[in-house]
Amino acid sequence: MSNMLDTFMNVEVFAFIGLLVWLYFKPNAPDDNERPDT
Amino acid sequence: MFTNPLLIVALAITGAVAVWGIIDTAGLAAFAAYLVGIQFSSRAWFIMLAVSFMLITSVWLALSRYGGIKLGKDDDEPEFSTVSWLSMLFAAGMGVGLLYWGTAEPLTHYLIISEYEDARASASLALFVTNFHWGLHAWAIYALTGLVIAYFGFRLGCPSLVSAPIIKVFGANRLTRSVGWLSDLLAIVAIAIGLGGSVAMGVFQVKEGVDALFGLQDTGLGLTLGIFVVLCLSYILPLTVDLSRGMAILSNTAMAVAGGLMIYILLFGPTHFVMGGIVQAFGDYLSGAFTHGFRTFTFMDDRVGNWFRSWTLTYMVWWLAWAPFVGVFIARISKGRTIREFICGVMLVPTMFSILWFGVFGGVGFYGILELDASILDVVRDNVSGVTFFVLGHFPLPALTIAAVVVAAFLFIITSVVSAAFVLGMFSTGGDLNPSTRVKLSWGVVLGALGLVMILSGSIDAIKSIIALGALPFVFIVLVLVVCLLKMLKQERLGPS
Repeated sequence: MSNMLDTFMNVEVFAFIGLLVWLYFKPNAPDDNERPDT
Repeated sequence: MFTNPLLIVALAITGAVAVWGIIDTAGLAAFAAYLVGIQFSSRAWFIMLAVSFMLITSVWLALSRYGGIKLGKDDDEPEFSTVSWLSMLFAAGMGVGLLYWGTAEPLTHYLIISEYEDARASASLALFVTNFHWGLHAWAIYALTGLVIAYFGFRLGCPSLVSAPIIKVFGANRLTRSVGWLSDLLAIVAIAIGLGGSVAMGVFQVKEGVDALFGLQDTGLGLTLGIFVVLCLSYILPLTVDLSRGMAILSNTAMAVAGGLMIYILLFGPTHFVMGGIVQAFGDYLSGAFTHGFRTFTFMDDRVGNWFRSWTLTYMVWWLAWAPFVGVFIARISKGRTIREFICGVMLVPTMFSILWFGVFGGVGFYGILELDASILDVVRDNVSGVTFFVLGHFPLPALTIAAVVVAAFLFIITSVVSAAFVLGMFSTGGDLNPSTRVKLSWGVVLGALGLVMILSGSIDAIKSIIALGALPFVFIVLVLVVCLLKMLKQERLGPS
């Protein structure tokens, strides 16, 4: 049981890391491409 | 006034934790220890990897071409002089924790390390581990969180909220708003519970100081609660009127007292021993801190594993709990700085100061153990809150120095609670830079109640578990914020697509 819980918690982390990588390479929202007012 | 759902839910959750803790302190502490134990067992590698990733990212940002980007418009100039900015960074990092742990932490590590190593090597290792806990890794967490808030706030005009970067980068839709709302909520919970722990530690220390000053014994919970009530009464006034300048004066006074105390101990203590220890600790830190950030002690026995979880992992999670609070503060004073200046200032200066601080207070403790007798270790084992006062008792004018620590600890707690009530009010009202007195007072009450829970728990270990429970989800949020920052910086360099 504890091994299953451990596996589950780590799979969550792997999925989260995958999500981060995907978010980084995902194109930005189209309406948020304004450059700062410099 | 209380129509904002985030404010209501945040007050309800933190209030419920406080009520649960007051009614059934042991039950809450056991529950927190159980959940944190599971998390730390399964995800220790991830927490250490995440923290090291933040350090590497910070250094890379400072050295990369992004380092020249200003936190503000291109023609914005820094609001504060560099000296004044650096001294305020000191104040942010120089909380009651340093006063509390100055001698106690290195000596606590010494107790366990000396079971595996020679006494003199153990002293060196104990100082190294302490510096690791308070050094670059901790400040990289603060620096990145503050950088995200400052960059999105000052350069892109977003509100100073944890949710703002998420909505800005991924667009405003139902999903991002929900994730943003949840992030704001978790940040509020992490700050509130984290601050409750600091209040308790500060009250424990003030109580020990009063005991030492007046030679009291077995004062028990009565005196502790009395000090807690005085503390609560003391921060009500600053919450009801705008005393931002007064708060700065209180904070600077506490800083000056603490700095003066450090110099006093250095000059009146075994100066050559302490200075030698500081130089060695600096070298040890330079050569070992980066690789230590990846150490998970997986192949060591349970005793070392438990020590790693209850110290290193807890500290890293503790810094994460404070990250939104300290991040907002350091962001606010850093408008007009470049990313490179910001990262170098936020990471290097407080780290150097911590090495000096622990070198002095830890060094004096080790001098006692290695060159005199080891009676201080009994105090570390029996009453960790009294270690600082035990040390001061061996120096000239103990009444004066003990009173100074009591005053500094008290001032640190008041300024922390007032600043935290402001940040919590801001976060829970959609980024309002002037949250109403009623909102700030509500947070003041919740912070006091959470502090009371931690005091009633009566154990530093229980306090650590409860704080870690509140802060653990924030590991994930900080990493999402870092991705938002990196994406936006990349976009700024490439220009609009």
